[in-house]
Amino acid sequence: MLRVRFHGRGGQGIKTASQVLGTAAFLSGFQAQDFPLYGAERRGAPIVAFTRIDKEPILERGPVAFPDLILVGDETLLEDSQAAPACGADALTTLLVNSTKAPNSLKDKLNLLTMPVTCGLTKLCLKHLNAGMILSTALAAAAARLTGLIPLNHLLEAVEIELAEFSPEQLQKNLDLVREVFELLNPVVFQEREEAGLFPSKLMALEQQEVRDAAPLITATGNMNLRKTGNWRIHRPEIDYEECNHCMICYARCPEGVIKEDAEGKPEIDYDHCKGCMICAQECPKHAIKTLWEMDYEHQSQ
Amino acid sequence: MNINRSNKRMLTGNKAAAWGARLAGVEYVPAFPITPQTEIVETLSQWFAGGTLKGKFTNMDSEHSMFMAAGSAAATGVRVFTASSSQGILYGMESLYTVTGWRVPFVMVNVSRGLATPITLEADHNDVMSTRDCGLIQLHAETCQEILDFVLMGYKIAEHPLVSVPVLVNMDGFVLSFSREPVVIPDEKSARDFLPAFQPAQPVFQASLPMARASAVFGGGTYTYFRIQQDLAVRQAETVFNETAVEFADRFGRHYEPLERFHLDDAEVVFVMSNSFATKGKSAVLRLRKQGVKAGLLKIRMFRPFPDEAVANALKGRAKVAVIDQNLAPGMGGITYPEIVAAMYGRDDCPQKILSVIGGLGGKDIKENDFLSIVEKLNDPESKGPVFLYDEGDWKQFQQMQKIAQL
Amino acid sequence: MTTTAEHHKKIKDLHPQEGMAPGSPLCAGCGGLEGIRLALKELGDNVLVCNAAGCFTLLSVYPFTPFKGSWLYTTMAAPVPAAQGVRDALDIRRSHNRLANEDDFQVMVVAGDGSSADMGLSPTSAAIHRGLDFIYFCYDNEAYGNTGFQLSGTSPFGSATQTTPVTGEHPAGSEIRKKDLFEIWKAQNPPYIATVSPREPIDLSNKFARAKTMKGPRLFICLSPCPTGWGVDPKDSLLVAKLAVDTGIFPLKEYVDGQVIHNRIPRKRIPVEKYLEPQKRFHHLFVPKRQDDIIAKIQAGVDRYWERYE
Repeated sequence: MLRVRFHGRGGQGIKTASQVLGTAAFLSGFQAQDFPLYGAERRGAPIVAFTRIDKEPILERGPVAFPDLILVGDETLLEDSQAAPACGADALTTLLVNSTKAPNSLKDKLNLLTMPVTCGLTKLCLKHLNAGMILSTALAAAAARLTGLIPLNHLLEAVEIELAEFSPEQLQKNLDLVREVFELLNPVVFQEREEAGLFPSKLMALEQQEVRDAAPLITATGNMNLRKTGNWRIHRPEIDYEECNHCMICYARCPEGVIKEDAEGKPEIDYDHCKGCMICAQECPKHAIKTLWEMDYEHQSQ
Repeated sequence: MNINRSNKRMLTGNKAAAWGARLAGVEYVPAFPITPQTEIVETLSQWFAGGTLKGKFTNMDSEHSMFMAAGSAAATGVRVFTASSSQGILYGMESLYTVTGWRVPFVMVNVSRGLATPITLEADHNDVMSTRDCGLIQLHAETCQEILDFVLMGYKIAEHPLVSVPVLVNMDGFVLSFSREPVVIPDEKSARDFLPAFQPAQPVFQASLPMARASAVFGGGTYTYFRIQQDLAVRQAETVFNETAVEFADRFGRHYEPLERFHLDDAEVVFVMSNSFATKGKSAVLRLRKQGVKAGLLKIRMFRPFPDEAVANALKGRAKVAVIDQNLAPGMGGITYPEIVAAMYGRDDCPQKILSVIGGLGGKDIKENDFLSIVEKLNDPESKGPVFLYDEGDWKQFQQMQKIAQL
Repeated sequence: MTTTAEHHKKIKDLHPQEGMAPGSPLCAGCGGLEGIRLALKELGDNVLVCNAAGCFTLLSVYPFTPFKGSWLYTTMAAPVPAAQGVRDALDIRRSHNRLANEDDFQVMVVAGDGSSADMGLSPTSAAIHRGLDFIYFCYDNEAYGNTGFQLSGTSPFGSATQTTPVTGEHPAGSEIRKKDLFEIWKAQNPPYIATVSPREPIDLSNKFARAKTMKGPRLFICLSPCPTGWGVDPKDSLLVAKLAVDTGIFPLKEYVDGQVIHNRIPRKRIPVEKYLEPQKRFHHLFVPKRQDDIIAKIQAGVDRYWERYE
């Protein structure tokens, strides 16, 4: 069985990617299963989807813990401990990252056992779709090609099925994109995993706790700030203090309340929590807040 | 004429429930009327309006709202009582599950009544059984005295720090809710000594104790933890019930166990029953004994937590057992039957036969003759359950009605 | 016309306190989140939120809560009864001398439009009837947002939702009009009703400042742009909120002492299509072919409303 896991952010088409791959595998004569994992998270938050492909009936359900192939749609997720895209990766796992970085640098940085494949899908998406982060078909194409199991014609047919509601022009753009990605990559040889022996779980009998610990009760009020939603950002607002006149409109408009007035009366963004909605940049009367790509910012800061 | 004899008064089941709440010093009653429970809330509303009870009686707009208000008030630190029945239980079911999960204590009375469709006013236990799995403690009353005593004991159990879940006291509609019989009403001081003012075992809502309660969880592991804790707490209630019963007996002289054994010691045929029809069962036991049948009766007072060890001990070594369910799970049979059977599972001294019997649906009488029929079924090696207590007379009567109903 | 002095005149008058910590899993650019954030800035921490099932369920996911005050998660139909139980219990404890004055708090229901206009409406009506002392904050994103944007009682005419798809048979999407929650509440004559916009923090804060001095049932309807469901870029979320006011589709108003007061009568209303066009849920009114009849019908509804006040 080939187990594929897609990582990305809500709104990037991760679920659709898993479905295009699932349908393509099905059309190619395989047993297939695809499954998105919906958590508490919303648009912009890390999400994950899975596709399983096999010749035999698939006797697995739910998330894939030990993937053969991982596709990371958004490079900013790589160091995100919540998304943990490399989780469960071993010496048999191939990891594809939507990135233009050298595979070497990623391998060292993430302590991967195998050399990752990098591919600048964002640029290709921009070229074909005029949108950099609608990754559904590009990721599906990359996955399909890497598996070496799916011929191009079945992949294209799967795209047509899954994007049936798209306009003919939009569909065509996606088909062109898929072709280009497919031709750009080469198949990987996947080794069948040896089945490990079963060992029993260490079941335990819970002890009764005092009622304040036994019911869903939170007394550490305001602790939500322990969750760093800064990793949701695709765009990064940056205040140009030369232009800023301290009107504090940005502070008033920020739904997350992450823009504060500093000691000098200037607005200051809490990047640990800013989700990158960019309302501040849109609403700034002086246009003093720039919109940067978070990815580029990371490049620059390294 | 003075009918008050040494603190005894003629009380209906409903009035006994109201008295239980009054003696518990309840501070808050969110209420919504439903037949046959109305007398309870009417009585309490009079006591609040007249100043006998201090606190607040709020007329709610539905049982769904009522149970929610009961839970949120308990979470804010007051002693709460409420009551419902039948369709009201079903309408409020979402709230019942919700507030039991909050792990807040209060006492509610259910006045049992059959469920639609067809709609009926008379008693059976499908309503209370529908709350079986929602995390309540269930005490079932046979007499008006038990109702009052269980309400009072109920607060002690519900508010125990190791329990902290709501207690439901069940009585049969009409047959008990509207029947008057002499009931000992404890004096207020003894009641207060037995049950002091509410001391919450956990933080309650107030500005100086900000907290989030009942937040969502994601991931089955977290969910499972809270569910297991709920299970442990409800199970713990059996021990707490027994401790409470000892203290109650010391103070008031009436001792209750989770089960009542009636002529059980030498019984070869045992009827398992609950609630007010257990009285009929007891009468039948005495008459059957006169006819040479060694009958006995096991009455289930506590249905949640389910006292499986005690049930097994009571039924072990008996030849024949009939579990009489006044409820029906269509396609399955009696709801308590599998629980009794499970309690006996794997024991060498398991009865030779445990038969599921269904009767008393929608207030249908269980006649003493019916008990002899049950004995016959128990003696017939071919008989299989569920056996419905429905006879040829019932059928003839229905046929006549159907003739009128149908063209 | 205003009845009381305005506490807030400019952005810098907003209360510096934040009642909520960041880090919630709500969508980036959520208009409702900005609405409740501004509300809590004015109300402070001595608030208990009784929350109805909906998008805001996710505000507190164990073991986290953003609130400095208290939170009680309830059910979709019963946040108001929960508020009733809490308020009653606080009053009882006060009367029994078991609650210090400073331990009392404001009880606030927070519910989406699905709960407010549909499932929770009957218990709410009952609470208004009883005169329950509480604030009701409805974040109206005009559909069942948490389940993926299906039709609710406040979904507007001409909008596409997941359960009112646009087809040849149904070119408008939803063919029924939005319930008017303001008027529904008004029929029961509560002490205070207001509409607020997350794009109008001064107006919103002044209204909360007024309402918090009052007793009884007080409603806030916050038109809450939903980038995900409305199909707008998160950055444009508040811009759309502004257009809702400027086109007159969402009047900023209050109901006090039996009178409806408009806080802002747009002198020159922008055509409604300026509000509709940027939103994907109204896309079908413009592409592939303009549906002038439907747009005109929406415009006529707005015009009819304002004729009474202009």
